[in-house]
Amino acid sequence: MSNAIERKQTAASGETLVDVQDLKKYYGGNGFFAPPPVKAVDTVNFEIKRGETFGLVGESGSGKSTLGRTLVRLEQATDGSVSFDGTDITELSGSELKKWRSNAQMVFQDPESSLNDRMTVGEIIREPLDAHGWKTKSERRERVTELLSEVGLREEHYFRYPHQFSGGQRQRIGIARALALEPEFIVLDEPVSALDVSVQAKIITLLEDLQEEFDLTYLFIAHDLSVVRHICDRVAVMYLGKIMEIGDTEELYEDPQNPYTQALLSAIPRPDPTVTIDRITLPGTPPSPRDPPQGCQFSTRCPAKIRPEAYADVPDETWDAVEQLREVIRERSRMSLSATDQMRKRLGRFSRFDDIDETVEDLFEELSVPQAVQDHVQHAVELVKDGEPEEARTYLRDEFGGVCDTTRPDHHQVSASGRESYCHRHDAEYDDVTAVLSKYSDGA
Amino acid sequence: MSDTNTPNDSYDGDQSSLTSRLAANPRPALRWAAVAAVLLVLEFGAFIGGTLTVLHALVLGVTGLIAAMLGLTISKGIETSINEVQASILSQIDSVRSTAEGIPTLLSRETIPNQGHRLGPDGPWAETFMGLEPRLAWLLRVTLIVVYAFVVAYWLFRGWDIFRIYYRQADWTPTDDIINRLRSHRWGVFGVLIILLFLTMALFGPALGPTTVEANIQSPYGHYVEYYSNETGQVENVTVGNANFNSKSKGAGTNVGPMSYDSFDRFHPFGTLTNGRDLFTFMMGGARTTITVVGIAIGMSAGIAAALGMISAFYSGTVDLGVLTVADGITSVPQLLLLIMVSAVFAGHWITNVLNGGFLLAILFGLTGWPGLWRAVRGPALQVAQEEWVDAAESFGQRPALIMWKHMFPYVVGYLLVYASMSAGGIIIAMSALSFLGNGLGVTAPTPAWGRAIDLGQNYVSTPSWHISLIPGLMIVALVTGANALGDGLRDAIDPETESGSGEQTAAGGGA
Repeated sequence: MSNAIERKQTAASGETLVDVQDLKKYYGGNGFFAPPPVKAVDTVNFEIKRGETFGLVGESGSGKSTLGRTLVRLEQATDGSVSFDGTDITELSGSELKKWRSNAQMVFQDPESSLNDRMTVGEIIREPLDAHGWKTKSERRERVTELLSEVGLREEHYFRYPHQFSGGQRQRIGIARALALEPEFIVLDEPVSALDVSVQAKIITLLEDLQEEFDLTYLFIAHDLSVVRHICDRVAVMYLGKIMEIGDTEELYEDPQNPYTQALLSAIPRPDPTVTIDRITLPGTPPSPRDPPQGCQFSTRCPAKIRPEAYADVPDETWDAVEQLREVIRERSRMSLSATDQMRKRLGRFSRFDDIDETVEDLFEELSVPQAVQDHVQHAVELVKDGEPEEARTYLRDEFGGVCDTTRPDHHQVSASGRESYCHRHDAEYDDVTAVLSKYSDGA
Repeated sequence: MSDTNTPNDSYDGDQSSLTSRLAANPRPALRWAAVAAVLLVLEFGAFIGGTLTVLHALVLGVTGLIAAMLGLTISKGIETSINEVQASILSQIDSVRSTAEGIPTLLSRETIPNQGHRLGPDGPWAETFMGLEPRLAWLLRVTLIVVYAFVVAYWLFRGWDIFRIYYRQADWTPTDDIINRLRSHRWGVFGVLIILLFLTMALFGPALGPTTVEANIQSPYGHYVEYYSNETGQVENVTVGNANFNSKSKGAGTNVGPMSYDSFDRFHPFGTLTNGRDLFTFMMGGARTTITVVGIAIGMSAGIAAALGMISAFYSGTVDLGVLTVADGITSVPQLLLLIMVSAVFAGHWITNVLNGGFLLAILFGLTGWPGLWRAVRGPALQVAQEEWVDAAESFGQRPALIMWKHMFPYVVGYLLVYASMSAGGIIIAMSALSFLGNGLGVTAPTPAWGRAIDLGQNYVSTPSWHISLIPGLMIVALVTGANALGDGLRDAIDPETESGSGEQTAAGGGA
C-alpha cells in the first residue's frame, strides 16, 4: 500500500463524459389519490470529466444510490437529462439502450447479493458478453480468463461457484463482470463498504490500477468519507436528494463551506489525540423525503440556520428550544389518527396529544422566554391539542421561519476552483457559515 | 480463502467439450453404459411400449385441440384434414407399439406365467412358471419387476454420480448439496421410494397384474381361462366373463378375498371386485391413468405458475395486479363443481375419448390448479427479483426473458417442486372423488380408476368383502403421503434453514 497517503491524481482530460442536468427521480405520487411522491433525487446538476473519479457521499436515504442507478438506467429519471458523450441517455430505448449499456456498468455494494449463486464464476463474467453477442464463443471464454487474471483471480476459478469465495474475491468477480464489455464509465455503489478493512484497501488499489489501465471514469458512491478522500478527484455531498456541496476533494475536505459538509466532516475520527476538532452533532433525524422542508432541505437540522430579524435578540438556548419544539410538532403531524381519534376530534373531546404540554414544559422550563415567543408557542400548543399538528406546524413556520425555512437556496460558487455550496449563508447579507458554527461550538 | 493471485500453468483452459472429456477417460462411462444397456435390453419392449402409449395420447390430445380450435375459428375443412393427419400418425404409432410390445421382455407374464390350472383336486399346476403355484409365480414376477425398477432408478442416479465425479468441470455445484441433503432426509427418501413404486406400477402395470386389463376388464368374453373343475373332475374351458360372474365379492357367502384363489384356479392378490374382476389388475390399470393425468395436470399448472410468477415478480405493479385478478377469479370458482359442469358439457365430445376422459380432466386440473402454485412461487420470485444480480443483469442489457430464466427460475424451481408434489395429492384425491361420484364423471368406465373401486365397495365395508374399498383407499393414502413426504424432503433439501417444519410451511396440498 505505497500510495495510501499519496493520493493518485488521475490525469483528468477536462473533457466532460457525463453531464447531469436538473435530474429528478421521484417515486410514486402519480395517480389522483396517491400520497405525495418520494423525492429521492431532487434537481441535481453536475458533470463528470473523462478519466476522473467522482465521489458521491451522504448518509443513507440521501438519494446517492438512486442517483447512481439512474445514471446507468436502472431507474428511469422523472425529469431532467443525463447526457453521456453528448447523447441523452434518459431518452434511449430498445436496441439503442442495449447498445449504450455496454458503455456504462455498475459494481454493487453487497458482493453476497450481486452474484447469482447458481452460476459458475465463468458464466457470471461471460454473461454480459453473451448478452451482447460479443465475438465468438471461444473468444468470449478467452476474454473471461483474461478478466479473471486482471482482477487478481485465477483461471481455474472459472468453474467454481460464488459460494466458494470470500467477500473480497466475490467483489473481484463483480468487478470483472463490470469490465467485461470494456465500458468507459463505471458506477461503484459502495463497492467496499461490505468488506473487511484489510480487504477494502486491496479492492481500492485494484480499482485504481484498473482505472489507469483502461482509462475508466468512476462514479464512486460511499458513506465512508476517508475512502472517498483517498480515491476521488472531485466529490459531491448529498442530503435528502440535493447536492449540498460539490468541488475538488482536497479543497472540500480542507475547507468545507456548507454547514452540512462541516457537520459531516467533523464526524470523521482523527487518529491524532492532540487535535481538538469540535464535533458538530446534528439534532434529530432527516425528514421524510416524501415531505421535505419547504425551504432548504437541511433547514430542520442545520446548526447555522438563519434566524429572522424580528427574533435576533432571543437568547440562543430559547431559540434552540423553539426549533426543537418545531421538530416535535413535525413528527406529530406525520402520525395519522385512528378512526376513534378522528371522531373524538369532531366532538371536541380529542386528548391524545395533550402530552405536548409536558414537552413544552421540559423545553422551556428554565429559560427566559420573551412574551412574543411565549404567545406563539402557546397558540401552537393549543392547535396541537385540538388535533391539528399540521396547522401548528404551518403557524410556527410562518411566525419563526427565516429565509432557510421558506426559500430554497441557490448553489453559490465558494472558491476559485468552481466549488459550489447550497446555502443561504453565502449570500452577502448573512454571516459566513464558519463564523456562525465556531460561535455555535464555542457556546456548546 | 486467500485473496492472492498465483498463476497456475497446469490449467488447460475450459475449451474441452464433454465429448473430449469422455474420450480422455472413457472407462467409468463405458462401465456405466454397459450395465445400462443390459438393463435396457431386458425390458426394451416395455419401455418402448410405455413411451409410445404416452406419445399416442399426447398426439391425440394436441392435434385434437388444434383441430377443434381451427375448426371453430377458420373452417370445418381444416378440422377434417387435421383429423385425417392425426389418424394416420396414430395408426403408425399403434403399429410400432404393437411390434414393440411383441419384443419378448425378461419380466413379462409370458416369461414367468402365473395363469394356469390344476391337473387334479390337489394336484400339480400346469402352465405356470416351472409348475409353481400361481401365487408364488405371481409373487416371483412382482418381486423381480420391483427390484428391476429400483435397480434402474439407482443406476440412473449412479449415472449422474459418475458424471459429477469424472466428467463435470465444476468440482462442486449447489445442486450437490441439495442432493446430499435429500439423501440423508429419511422422510424425503421414503417419499421418493413411494413415488418410485407407483411409477413402477404405472410403467409395468400390465406385467404386474395376475391378468391383464384387456383380458379381465375390457373384453372378458373374448378371452378364455382353463381350470380344473371339481364337479366334472377335469380341466374345463370358460370365458373370463363367465368366470368373473361366478367370482364376485359381495359380502358373506360370495367373496374372493385378498391372496386367495377363486373357483376357476385364478389367483387374486387383492381379491375381486363386486363384478368378479381382479382388483389388483384394476388398481395397476388405475395407476397408469392416475399418474398420467396427475403428471399432465401438475406439469401444466406448474409451467403456468412458474411463468406467471416470474413475470409478475419481475414487472410487478399493474402486471402483477392483472395476474392476481385472474388467479383470484379462477380460485373463486369451486373446482369440483367446475369439473362436474365441464364433464357434462363435453359429454360425448371426442376429447372425452383421449385417455378415456383423463385428458380433459388433466387439462381442467391444469388450468384451475395454477393459482395456488403461482401464489406459492410469487413470494420467492419477488424476493429474487430484488436481488442485485437481477439489477446487474439488467444493467448490462440482458433480455427480460433470459433474466427470468437464468437469474430467477433456479431459485423458484425448488419451491415449485415442493408445492407441486404437495398439490399432486389434491389432484389424486379430486380424481378419485370424481370417479367415486360416478355418473359419467371422471375416467370413463370400464377403464380402471381408483375412486370407482372405492365406490363399488362402499356397501360392503363391514362385510367379508371389505377389501374392495379399503385397499384402494390405503393406496391413495400411501401415494398422497408419499407425494407430501417428497415435498417435505425437497423443501428441507433446498432450504435447510426451514428444517423440521414449524407447521406453517407444510400448508399446501389439500383436497379438491
